[in-house]
Amino acid sequence: MSKWKKTGSAFFLSVLEGISFAQQRFPKPEFETGYVQPSPETPAPRALFLEYLDVGVLFLVLLLASWLIYRKRSRRGILWLSVFSLAYFGFYREGCICAVGSVQNVALSLFRPEYAISLTALAFFLIPLVFTLFHGRTFCAAACPLGAIQDLLVAKPVALAPWVRKPLGLIPHLYLGLAVLFAATGTEFIICRYDPFVGFFRLDARFVMVILGIGFLVLGLFVARPYCRFLCPYGVLLSWMSRFSKRSLSITPAECIDCKLCAKSCPFDAIEKPTNRQAADVKESNAKRFLVYGLLLPVFVAGGCFLGGRAHVFLSKAHPDVRLAELLISQPEVRNDPDNIDVQAFLASGKTMETLIAGALVVRQEFYYGSLILGAFMGLVAGLMLLNQLAFREHTDYEPNKADCFSCGRCMDYCPVGKEVGKTREVGKNPGGWKNPGGLGKPGRCGKPPGFDEYLI
Amino acid sequence: MKKKNKIKRFTNLAAGAGAAGALIAFLLLLNYLQLERADPLESTARAALLERLEAEPNNEALKEDIRNLDLLARKAFFNNQWQINTGAVLLLISAIIFGFSLNVLNTLKASIEMPEQDEPEEARASRLSQRGILIAGAILVLAALGATYFSSDYLQSFQASATKTTVAQVEQIEVVDAGAPDMESGTVIEQDSSAGFGQDTTAAPNQPAAESAPSASYPTIEAILQQHGSFRGPLGNGVSFQKNIPTDWDGAEGRNILWKIPLPQKGNNSPIVWGNQLFLAAAGRNSRAVYAYNRHSGALLWQQAIGNMSGSPASPPKVSDDTGLSAPTLTTDGIRVYAIFATGDVAALDLSGRIVWAKNLGVPDNHYGHSSSLLSWQEKLFIQYDTNKGCKVMALDCGTGATLWETQRKVKISWASPILASIGGKYQLVLSADPLVAAYDADSGKELWRADCMMGEVGPSPAFSDGLVFAANEYARLAAIRPGNPATVVWEQNEYLPEVASPVAANGLLYVATSYGVLACYDAKSGEKYWEHECDAGFYASPLIADGKLYALDMSGVMHIFRHDKEKQLTGEPSLGEKAVATPAFANGRIYIRGEKHLYCIGS
Repeated sequence: MSKWKKTGSAFFLSVLEGISFAQQRFPKPEFETGYVQPSPETPAPRALFLEYLDVGVLFLVLLLASWLIYRKRSRRGILWLSVFSLAYFGFYREGCICAVGSVQNVALSLFRPEYAISLTALAFFLIPLVFTLFHGRTFCAAACPLGAIQDLLVAKPVALAPWVRKPLGLIPHLYLGLAVLFAATGTEFIICRYDPFVGFFRLDARFVMVILGIGFLVLGLFVARPYCRFLCPYGVLLSWMSRFSKRSLSITPAECIDCKLCAKSCPFDAIEKPTNRQAADVKESNAKRFLVYGLLLPVFVAGGCFLGGRAHVFLSKAHPDVRLAELLISQPEVRNDPDNIDVQAFLASGKTMETLIAGALVVRQEFYYGSLILGAFMGLVAGLMLLNQLAFREHTDYEPNKADCFSCGRCMDYCPVGKEVGKTREVGKNPGGWKNPGGLGKPGRCGKPPGFDEYLI
Repeated sequence: MKKKNKIKRFTNLAAGAGAAGALIAFLLLLNYLQLERADPLESTARAALLERLEAEPNNEALKEDIRNLDLLARKAFFNNQWQINTGAVLLLISAIIFGFSLNVLNTLKASIEMPEQDEPEEARASRLSQRGILIAGAILVLAALGATYFSSDYLQSFQASATKTTVAQVEQIEVVDAGAPDMESGTVIEQDSSAGFGQDTTAAPNQPAAESAPSASYPTIEAILQQHGSFRGPLGNGVSFQKNIPTDWDGAEGRNILWKIPLPQKGNNSPIVWGNQLFLAAAGRNSRAVYAYNRHSGALLWQQAIGNMSGSPASPPKVSDDTGLSAPTLTTDGIRVYAIFATGDVAALDLSGRIVWAKNLGVPDNHYGHSSSLLSWQEKLFIQYDTNKGCKVMALDCGTGATLWETQRKVKISWASPILASIGGKYQLVLSADPLVAAYDADSGKELWRADCMMGEVGPSPAFSDGLVFAANEYARLAAIRPGNPATVVWEQNEYLPEVASPVAANGLLYVATSYGVLACYDAKSGEKYWEHECDAGFYASPLIADGKLYALDMSGVMHIFRHDKEKQLTGEPSLGEKAVATPAFANGRIYIRGEKHLYCIGS
């Protein structure tokens, strides 16, 4: 046997050994009872090298997605890559570990020194953010299983008016704030617990979560990717990164002919039309309002801070220690309830009520500070969102909104300019022959480009 | 395939998948609701049968019926589970097909519209968005205010009430309120004039408790020997100096039973007697209490609830049934009575039942339950506190509860109780645990000597007689130790070893009572076995020597009475008529026995 073969055999043996160790560290006793052990709620732990393999797969998927978007401009490639991610990160890895939930691991590690975050969780948190900073939200396009399962079921999307979309945009920020607060106080990983799709990946979930997941998928037939747009807390971070991304998806490889097909193709209402500077200029009131909102911003932050402080008692009730302490105080008869496992476990521990209350008060104090920050954050977000509605950003073509665009590539696929450029490149011709005859921002400027009819199915 | 045909095909597929999905979802919902309404594992029929089984424990046919019903219920449950799981998978598949079909249909039917000629007004959209954000913000504000308004801060209210309670406790402990007795925490049932302890129960409020006065005179050794004020009698040594102790009675027939009263709560501690009062303690999951009875009439004089003190656990620790929450026996010096419970609550009460002081020593980590009894001498209350999380012996000030001394012990957890032995003109506190039998200076707590001869879970307390200390434990040994520095093991035996009952020795004879029903008598000096006697039941109650006889109460309630002699002479085996594990208490002409359910006074 050659040296390479020996090395190869040793490697694969070690891999197999690693897998077996990962599956069963302490073998279960062999009982001939026919009892089938129920599967745990979370996937079984994996060998370390398999975790690193997951990180490698994520990195490769993001790399491939960036290449498909910026070099190949292939919607089909993105689609199949998202199918792969759904299969791998979703059904094979059973939705864990995922970048969306890793926000909580990071928060917990920052506020609880006793918790050491794993390198895998940190990598899953950072890699998509770094990629987004350079290439836009390619993670949402092809690597996120939660996004993929919704994206594949977008059937007949309806356009949502901005006055619906913008206010709903507050929810992901609130969800992010709550997830960080609950994770930092050691309360719960709410993103994981209330993940509506993880039940499908594991083929096992509470009935309510199954109903919620089905509800999201059914809603997603008509309102594309509702979880990603109006709930996903990690999406908030990605949208922040994406605003500053070095590159972002461009709908057309050449000059936009303002045919508006891309806007129609985007199920996420993430394409902005060319701005009309004249119309913007006449609105002097916008400037005044901008000034008012700017001045009110500290008031929003202070108000949020105040409300957060007031709401901390309510929020802290989610913490198991606070909940248990309050339950024992408000309903002392629960001590006699043998079915209340939390109460019985506490009673069996021999701990005193004073100890429990002291611990709960510490948690409540943490919630107080956390809620102050959460309230201030929400005030700031609301204020900035208002200012954002008045900010004028000039662009001459139909362009994807950098923060909202999931880089799915549908618009590229629809763009007739792109198709024509592809053709002319093939024959080595200049693609500029069918330039838009109309002026920018002028209604009715759009004419049929060459190949327009061909595009029709 | 033509586009039209494709559209038709995918329309049918979407309709089929949609209909199938809707049907499966409906069936799943029905299944879920059915499982919610009647969980097979919570069958009322099964519960009814189980209830019947309690009444008829030997009904084999009934047992078989229950098993069959249980099997059926489990089959139904798992069948339901399978249906839900399979249904969920099918629903997912149909949802995917439905979504995919709609997606394809959408693409097939897609047509490109000509761009709108009139652009919607951007400014209007912006204004509407701002309004929307403001409304959403307002909703969040209202939600936060609602959450604030509708949520109660129980922790804060508990803290406030705890502060009030602490103040009240301090007042109760430091200053005895001699007004009307608090019917909740302590109830004076009857002021028995025959009790005669001269406690003024009508003293003015806020009058300092007499007990906290340092001038209280503690009983002399002679006075202590005339009482049965602690576990196993005076000094905890198992030898009583009472006379005319009855030897014949019958609990079932009532012969020589002077009175018999039902016990209020569970408790495996033994009764103690001082003067005309008899004390014992009892505890349940939610309450702990000390009880005082008129020992002549059996009338309940008072009862006092113990607990609600700082550090006292909200609920008692887990203990085994045969130990219970109130296994340690009380002790009294005739001024106060002292109690300790498995929760670590220690309290001193005056003889009219008012709490003088109370404190919690920290919940003892004890897998069976704390059982070491108390012992007092002069102004000191001795507590052997050997737990899984550290072992120590301590002396508290009887008047104030303050710690006078505390000595850490390098031993394992034990359930034995301390005894006092006068050795070399000084009183030594002798303790037994794994691996040491050790003695401590009663005044300073300093370890005086030790003998490394014990092992296991030590329950029996040591005994002292004629300059020798005797200690024993099951699966270990019976050892006679000569105190000194170093202490020496004079002899060892391992034929009959007690599990719970303590050995007792006097006048050169040593007795051992085992949990498997053997009573054995040894020569205390040499370890030579004189005699043994096999009983039908084992011994948990410790044997006592009194009035020239050995009294050994077995677990079935039969008292085995022998002459205190190296020849085996059985005097009698009277029966109580109910099970008993507590050690009896003696007073002149009387025996007090705590049975499983009743307290008995025996006398002729």
